[in-house]
Amino acid sequence: MDYTRQEMMAIATGREFKDGELAIFGVGLSMLAGFFAQRNHAPNLMAFTEGGVYGSTPVGGLPWGIEDNRISANAVSFTNAIDALGFLVASGRVDNAVIGAAETDKYGNVNTTGIWAEGTDPWKVGKYTLPRVRLNGSGGANEIATGAKQYLLMVTHEKKRFNEKVSYISSPGYLDGGNAREKYGFPGGGPSAMITTLGILRPDPVTKEFILTGYYPFSSIEEVKENTGWDLKVAPDVQVIPEPTEKELENLRAVDVTGSLRKK
Amino acid sequence: MNKSKLITMKEAVEQYTYDGMYFGHGGALPVGSDCISFFREMVKAGIKDIDCASNCNSQGTNLLAAVGGIKRIEVGFSGLEVYGFANGLKRAVETGKTILEDYSNGAIPIRMMAGALNWPFVPTFMNTGCDQQWASADDPENYPNTKKIPEITDPFTGKICGAFTPIKPDVAAIHVTMADIYGNAIMLGTEWCRYELSRCSKKVILVADKIVDTGAMRQFPNLVRIPYIVTDAVVYAPYGVWPACSTGLYDSDEEHMFYMNKMLKTEEGTNEYLEKFGQYGDVWDYVNMIGQERIDKITNTDTAFLMDPYRQWIKTDAEIKELLERR
Repeated sequence: MDYTRQEMMAIATGREFKDGELAIFGVGLSMLAGFFAQRNHAPNLMAFTEGGVYGSTPVGGLPWGIEDNRISANAVSFTNAIDALGFLVASGRVDNAVIGAAETDKYGNVNTTGIWAEGTDPWKVGKYTLPRVRLNGSGGANEIATGAKQYLLMVTHEKKRFNEKVSYISSPGYLDGGNAREKYGFPGGGPSAMITTLGILRPDPVTKEFILTGYYPFSSIEEVKENTGWDLKVAPDVQVIPEPTEKELENLRAVDVTGSLRKK
Repeated sequence: MNKSKLITMKEAVEQYTYDGMYFGHGGALPVGSDCISFFREMVKAGIKDIDCASNCNSQGTNLLAAVGGIKRIEVGFSGLEVYGFANGLKRAVETGKTILEDYSNGAIPIRMMAGALNWPFVPTFMNTGCDQQWASADDPENYPNTKKIPEITDPFTGKICGAFTPIKPDVAAIHVTMADIYGNAIMLGTEWCRYELSRCSKKVILVADKIVDTGAMRQFPNLVRIPYIVTDAVVYAPYGVWPACSTGLYDSDEEHMFYMNKMLKTEEGTNEYLEKFGQYGDVWDYVNMIGQERIDKITNTDTAFLMDPYRQWIKTDAEIKELLERR
């Protein structure tokens, strides 16, 4: 069957959503994964955006932003950020969510803030230095990371993005591992999976280190390990993730009308 | 409520903005509902050293940062969503011209709420246990920083959380879909942080796509989330969010969003952009500058039906000119 790695990642992400869940998607590819799930197997998935747009689906193409008219044309309610990101997400109510990352690490911490020159990250030099490349900041991902019952990281699997420790924690995963999150009293449970273009990593229940639990028909354990910047452990029961079914691909492409996931 | 607050864009910038002000703006979304044309007017007036309280970056902050007008910005998201990195702001931050203090999208409205309530601080789980708490661009020498979002103890449970400082801008320019001349406003689409911003700022300027009769407000009072009491001035700004979108009225202008951002990448490009799109006079000149072809394209929006209930109250350009002259 002909599908791209991006499509496999979006479908694998969508499979994590269950019918009836309260969910929040970010802009771009994560939104496609969420709306794919709603169309494919979770018709009662209740989705909203972080600005408080409820009950809507994309109209006229992939929305340019989370408050773009393309996601506002068939809404049933418009509210605000304190309502959506605060009352529903940061409070601990939302069941599942998807966030992206420029960089992540073995405990699922996310950096979307900047890229620092070698060895100049704030935590290495003990002061805040200017990033070499300024990225976009956390947006609403920090509220998802601290508040959602669980959430998924959707990341292109490249070695530079999967490091032992991120340069800057924009949105906390399991911090230094183990029960490190407990100190901060976050209402949310932390990241439940990293769904990547090469496979799926899930946290060890005790150490919270992410380990390889699945790879795709087109990837391999070796390829995933080669593209991961820490010594990736492999689950004893690691599995090959089923490739997309015809129905799944059809539903994904119906959502991805502009073909943004089909670009190789 | 019998005094008209309607003034021109030029007057609003002259009367309310100044160098070094603490400036709030909104909805402050990269693609929707920020008062972009107000930023253009501030650039024309050469307002500088601005300290911004921004929920998100928009093409407004992107432009102002590109000309070196932003000294400092507190922001939850500094990009342009699917349109990419905000090149003007990115350049200003990477070269050290603008100090960017990171918060999240939830943190900024919560801090505005604290400002509106006049609270000394607000407890939070947001932005704690991460570098948004430990790294401070305002106080770069101290890492992990203990002053930006200090750890406090919940007096009831003994557990640890963070404390946010309130936001209380000197001036806020707030985009609204429609306002009457007294300063009552209705917003279509998510209001994001505009409700809180209208209550935490010392001065509030509404930047409205449409001026409507107060009858619209009396018909839908539940939707008037910004009433005249908190408003100091009302500005008529048709297509004031362009090239981003205004729900119910126009979509984002894809071509211009990319073009503008590309130009803001360099100082030369920014100057060239301003020669083409920063030299207009009044609001009617501004509409002419955008041009009918673009306007026809962006107003062909799937959200247009949202305006149906309000059409009977919309003031025409002629009526608005008369209202401005009658002052």
